[in-house]
Amino acid sequence: MIEFDRVSRRHGDQHALRNLNLAVDQGEMTFLTGHSGAGKSTVLKLLLLLDRPTGGEIRVNGDRITHLTGGAVARYRRRFGVVFQDHRLLFDRSVHDNVALPLEIAGFSPRDITRRVRAALDKVGLLASERADPASLSGGEQQRVGIARAVVARPEFLIADEPTGNLDPQLSSEIMSLFEAFNQVGVTVLIATHDMPLICRLRHRIVTLSSGSLVAGDAS
Amino acid sequence: MKISLLRERLLWRWWPVWLLQHQSAAASSWKKLQGRPLSTFMTWLLVALSLALPASLLLTVNNLNSVTSHFERPPQFSLLLTEQMDLDDATHLQQAITNWPEVARVKLIPRDEALSQFIALTGLNPLLESLPRNPLPHTLLVSLHNTAPEKDSTLLAKRLESSNGVDQVVLDTLWMIRLEEGLRAASRWVLAVGAMMLLTTVLALGNILRLTVVARGDEILVVRLIGGSSAFARRPFLYTGLWYGLGGGALGAVMLWLFCGWLAGPVNALFILYESQQRLQWPGIHYPLGLLAVAVVLGWIASWMACQRHFRQLDKQ
Ligand SMILES: Nc1ncnc2c1ncn2[C@@H]1O[C@H](COP(=O)(O)OP(=O)(O)OP(=O)(O)O)[C@@H](O)[C@H]1O
Ligand SMILES: [Mg+2]
Repeated sequence: MIEFDRVSRRHGDQHALRNLNLAVDQGEMTFLTGHSGAGKSTVLKLLLLLDRPTGGEIRVNGDRITHLTGGAVARYRRRFGVVFQDHRLLFDRSVHDNVALPLEIAGFSPRDITRRVRAALDKVGLLASERADPASLSGGEQQRVGIARAVVARPEFLIADEPTGNLDPQLSSEIMSLFEAFNQVGVTVLIATHDMPLICRLRHRIVTLSSGSLVAGDAS
Repeated sequence: MKISLLRERLLWRWWPVWLLQHQSAAASSWKKLQGRPLSTFMTWLLVALSLALPASLLLTVNNLNSVTSHFERPPQFSLLLTEQMDLDDATHLQQAITNWPEVARVKLIPRDEALSQFIALTGLNPLLESLPRNPLPHTLLVSLHNTAPEKDSTLLAKRLESSNGVDQVVLDTLWMIRLEEGLRAASRWVLAVGAMMLLTTVLALGNILRLTVVARGDEILVVRLIGGSSAFARRPFLYTGLWYGLGGGALGAVMLWLFCGWLAGPVNALFILYESQQRLQWPGIHYPLGLLAVAVVLGWIASWMACQRHFRQLDKQ
């Protein structure tokens, strides 16, 4: 359960978010949409504590998160799997080692890491590329590696900012099906996107922002 | 495949996870350094040179210190007696002074003996023989007790000077006191130079590591985004600092060794010329160990500072 309670984020006199109320239930799959500059990325950054609100409160499973600092922030972020538009893979290591990173951080044994990385890569259909250099993969494949990295540690929440921004419609819909598959096994999914044609075909909740405020889709 | 699996299983049995994490951070930083052999070697050279310089100075001062410690410590005076004193008078004075409580020993060197010693030492035989008479006076060598403090010896010098028949009092050990003072100053100088070199090393290493940290900024960003602690993000760089320190320290120890080898010939020849039993002291095992330890600590400080600076900048954004 993610709750935004009258959250504001101001940059000088410019409002990125204005008194935003938003709740995402456990196990729900939600699309966050709106024009460019509407505040979608700001919502996700605040949720990941990459940015702090100037007003209001954010709660995750009932706990206030805005006061967390230091090591508590790191532990909090481990509950999330994050997918980026530019996938943010590390090109100095293999696909396997990229996906293994969250498990290393969480302190899994090498044996468990190998097993879980294989399972995650299998789910995104890239088990054969385990030893490959990520730079040698196509854009869609790189994004799938990014998704494998996001889900490998079995997070409670899956967060994605424009995960299909650089992909053609065919690949985009493949990626969205992957997110749906993870949602079906109980992961709460929150995706920021402006790919309206794609998300309208999928039957999930759509929340629309405009100039930092909610304009469509219920607050809860 | 089978063997590596077995090894992995055994490792997992006995090695806690944090050790494995350290192992993997250490191995990956080492691999990164191996990928840039030239710049790695230059960094080692930088560390080695800036540590070998103060270490060689320290070694030099230690060697000089051990030379002076071989000298007889208590002050010694030469009493040059007046022309009027004959050998009997000199012997009387010798006995009188021997009874003074501060005095350990008084040795009489008759003028003839002094002259023959002088001739033997300088080889100025023809010149001295051409003189009408022996120009040297009788001399008393007065050695004090080991315990005689500094102030006493100057007082004593005054008393000796005012004794009948004494022309001049010379403190033989004055040059030694000067040398010791000089060495004390030199030790401080070595300390200061050493401290400056260490600071220089930290700053230079800090800049090198800062470049490494910035170059791997993506990795730090991703690690922090997916919930890696600062310690986890810092770890590979601390190992980079460790490898720079170990490599630089080892290279510095080798340089110190070469420095000694280069000096040993002439220095030992000098000792032999001065009829000293002393030989150049090679650096003991504590030198390479100390160099390694100092270099590693410097590497850690530098990488810690580089990481903290980067983290602070990230936090500001
Ligand atoms: N660091 C910042 N300084 C000033 N203004 C900012 C900053 N970050 C965001 N903003 C402003 O906040 C508003 C919301 O930005 P945000 O990135 O959340 O939009 P978005 O909905 O993700 O847009 P896009 O679809 O283009 O990614 C924008 O008007 C942006 O200019
Ligand atoms: Mg955005």
